[in-house]
Amino acid sequence: MHTVVRRLLAAVPLVLVVVSATFFLSLASNVDPAEIILGGNATQEQVDALRTDLGLDRPAFEQYWSWLSGLFQGDLGQSLYTRAEVTDLFTGALPVTLSLAVGGLLIGVILGVGMGVLAATTAGSRTDRGIIMVSTAGQAAPSFFVGMLVIYVFALQLGWFPATGYTSLAESPGGWLRSLVLPSFALGLGVAAALSRQARSSMVIALQRDYTRTALSKGLSRRRVVLKHAARNAASPVVTSVSFQVAQLLGGAIVIERLFALPGLGSLTIDAVLRYDPYIIQAVVLFAVVVVVVVNLLVDLSYTWLNPKVRTA
Amino acid sequence: MSAAAGRSRFVARALRQRGMLVWSGIVLLIALASVCAPLLTDFDPNVGVFGDSMAAPSAEHWLGADRYGRDVLTRVLYGGQVALLAAVEAVAIALALGVPLGLVAGYVSGWFDKIVMRVVDGVMSVPFLVLAIAVIAAIGPGLANAMAVVGVVYAMSVLRLVRGEVLSAKEELYVDGLKVSGVSGPKILFGHILRNIAPPVIVQATLMFATAIVAEATLSYLGLGVPQPTASWGSMLSDAQHTIRENFFFVIPPGVAIFLTVLGVNQIGEGLRDLFSREIAVGRLGLNVVHPAPRGQGEPVVEPGEPDRPVALEVEGLSVSFPHQDAGRVTVVRDVSLRLHRGEVLCLVGESGSGKSVTAMSMLGLVSHPGTVTAASIRIGDDEISGLDFAGMRSIRGNRVGVVFQDPLGSLNPTFTVGNQMREAITAHRDVSRAEADRIAVELFERVGIPRAAERLADYPFQFSGGMAQRVMIAMALSCDPDVLVADEPTTALDVTVQQQVLDLLVSLRDERGMAVLLITHDLGVVAEVADSVAVMYAGQLVETGPVSEVFTRPRHPYTQGLLDSVPRNELATGPLASIPGVVPQPADWPDGCHFADRCPFAVDACGGEPVPLVLLPDRTRGVRCVRSGELDLPGLGDHGPGTEPVREHADSHVEAGRP
Ligand code: SF4
Repeated sequence: MHTVVRRLLAAVPLVLVVVSATFFLSLASNVDPAEIILGGNATQEQVDALRTDLGLDRPAFEQYWSWLSGLFQGDLGQSLYTRAEVTDLFTGALPVTLSLAVGGLLIGVILGVGMGVLAATTAGSRTDRGIIMVSTAGQAAPSFFVGMLVIYVFALQLGWFPATGYTSLAESPGGWLRSLVLPSFALGLGVAAALSRQARSSMVIALQRDYTRTALSKGLSRRRVVLKHAARNAASPVVTSVSFQVAQLLGGAIVIERLFALPGLGSLTIDAVLRYDPYIIQAVVLFAVVVVVVVNLLVDLSYTWLNPKVRTA
Repeated sequence: MSAAAGRSRFVARALRQRGMLVWSGIVLLIALASVCAPLLTDFDPNVGVFGDSMAAPSAEHWLGADRYGRDVLTRVLYGGQVALLAAVEAVAIALALGVPLGLVAGYVSGWFDKIVMRVVDGVMSVPFLVLAIAVIAAIGPGLANAMAVVGVVYAMSVLRLVRGEVLSAKEELYVDGLKVSGVSGPKILFGHILRNIAPPVIVQATLMFATAIVAEATLSYLGLGVPQPTASWGSMLSDAQHTIRENFFFVIPPGVAIFLTVLGVNQIGEGLRDLFSREIAVGRLGLNVVHPAPRGQGEPVVEPGEPDRPVALEVEGLSVSFPHQDAGRVTVVRDVSLRLHRGEVLCLVGESGSGKSVTAMSMLGLVSHPGTVTAASIRIGDDEISGLDFAGMRSIRGNRVGVVFQDPLGSLNPTFTVGNQMREAITAHRDVSRAEADRIAVELFERVGIPRAAERLADYPFQFSGGMAQRVMIAMALSCDPDVLVADEPTTALDVTVQQQVLDLLVSLRDERGMAVLLITHDLGVVAEVADSVAVMYAGQLVETGPVSEVFTRPRHPYTQGLLDSVPRNELATGPLASIPGVVPQPADWPDGCHFADRCPFAVDACGGEPVPLVLLPDRTRGVRCVRSGELDLPGLGDHGPGTEPVREHADSHVEAGRP
């Protein structure tokens, strides 16, 4: 517990630096939100008035300071357009993105690790080659292309799942699940492809180790040798690669939300970029960095669990 | 290997990878078609003919026309230009930024390195698409901007790679004792580094090229890349999505274009990676079936022990072969026959490369995958075990045959407690409760001399010293009271002080339980001390077997004599044999005639040509494989008679620390 707190505190500077860099980047931008909001016909007076109203005429450091101090009070600022609180927008969009990301991760991990382990235990066989082929193809197909294919087959042709849209969990748990199946699959396939390769190669290494030979020499079953002795040793690199994949998933979710018209953080982000709404973008970056930091911490903790040498040292 | 030879081997290997050539062809074709798009089609990619809206594929529009009446094939070709240009931009930026910064960061180290690595960590902590979007939000959409961001992100991983390479190169040069100082210092270093760094960077750049194509498509799909109506594979997919309900077909051309290009470039990258390093295939896990060979045609079985004791292990005509790049298959163990009685210790001796370990492992189906094992017969007691499947073998392994390996710490699973590993060895063959298994484990630990046995069950292997870990392995091998104990160099990895104790333990366990021990070793001191009989192996064959006292005092094979000559200096354990210059040749180079001929001081013409058979001496207790064995008069061990005076230096101290 002690280490967790210490590690989280240690990550604060990193988060601050990244977020501040984003803030100054947007300040340095030559895009003027006031001009965009008012459109081409506005007079200079109108633009100036709006700039004052939005606080954009203040010195850069003052803007930064008021934003930063708001941040520590849980205030992420407002949308320059709708004047909605960014915190509120986030609260609405977060469950969608989290559902999607968890769904994608689950499909990716289960499918990926399963295929990887199967391929490793049959290395060199036809099954192995088949799995390698599938994961190679899975890595090459962009998620939105896969998404369109599954929409066509499973939504438009077979009618099993809705093509687009989101049903919240509170509204209908069954509908929620159905609305997530296709997006999660489209998002998770790439993860599965990457993980299966990692799982295969670290499993192949573990299976060649002396302790695997010892396990076999004791007369243990194949299942026990693979799933107990080799798997525990092969897990660390796979866990690392899962953590990379989580970062990928956050980016991937943006695309998938757009494709399936899900009202999540991704849709929020794209809209914000297209009309230039800086506080929303900063909030998204902040969120992404925090997720990455937390995931990395979890991964480090899992090493401790996976490797007794670290644990007892 | 000279540089030129290395290069030509590399080219030969590249040519052998047909897959990579095919994919290179496909990618080249796509690139050419895109570049030559204006020559291949007359349509304008961005302006359509209204009447052709949503036209099906036809002679005019091969892939149809989209909702604005624009020719799809034309747009795919022009889209290819966008994709390739974008990928080139990103990769070029990544290399231009990443390589020099990585070189400098790794070379100067210190505060510069620290700052650079912080920046890398910062950039890499933001998911790349999120970062790209944040930057595009600030500097405005547009493909050039977008791909510059992608390039900068990629530069971080290139930087890391290069920096790591520089650090290890510095280390290596330092270790090699090369002087890294003065003017020539950086020169040597960078020359060395550039040689090492080129392969991984090329592979990485290729793989990045593929992801950059996906990145371009993604950004354009989201409307953040090329502006409408410019054709890009991503924006085409976005258009196709609008009309997916009317006509699904338009999804296919741009999707397939991305898929094929990315797949192709990835395959080239993988192919390159394979060229630089090769992964070994392990095959079907854990069983290498012993295939039957015709009986009675092999060489005679020598009976060195006491024939009235029951036979514990008998091997007849065991051979092991592996596929080989040039020679088809090579036989690494040829026609080995052994007989071992209960209560006896048989030592299998030879230099490394003689095939002694493979012989032992192959009996239990533990030879690694591409190897093929054949035997006329392998019997444990009265039971034939050759040809058994995995399930059949399970009831033999750990149950009737226990195995102790050379490196005890590597042979124990580092992630489980020794108690856990003991318990599963016991419950694999006996129907006992957990508590009962623990009790048995403690008993065995006490028997093999592990202090505080009950407590130590909860410890992990790394908490044991080498000697103690080997005692754990021995306890584990004994857990089901086997008939035969196979010990593969059980003392080699241990401290000299501990070796003696482990040997004594093995011998006393043999005395107490009456099991047979097959001990594989290269240490003739060990043989002299513990063995009843000895089988000397050279280059995959038995060359001499018999009772240890006779073989050591009256050897009949020049190789045995050579080994014995090396004993006083214990050369077999420490390095090359002064008495027999040279090393065991590679299996592919073994001659038809005597395998030892090129190192044998007594070799004559008759030794080459025909295979030399193993000949039984009249009393059937000894066998020898040498055409001149009858005429040679070999002196044997001389003053160092076995059993009289211990050959190896004994440690006075028999104390071993329980914990490191
Ligand atoms: S057969 Fe010839 S070469 Fe071989 S060991 Fe005997 S004497 Fe030496």
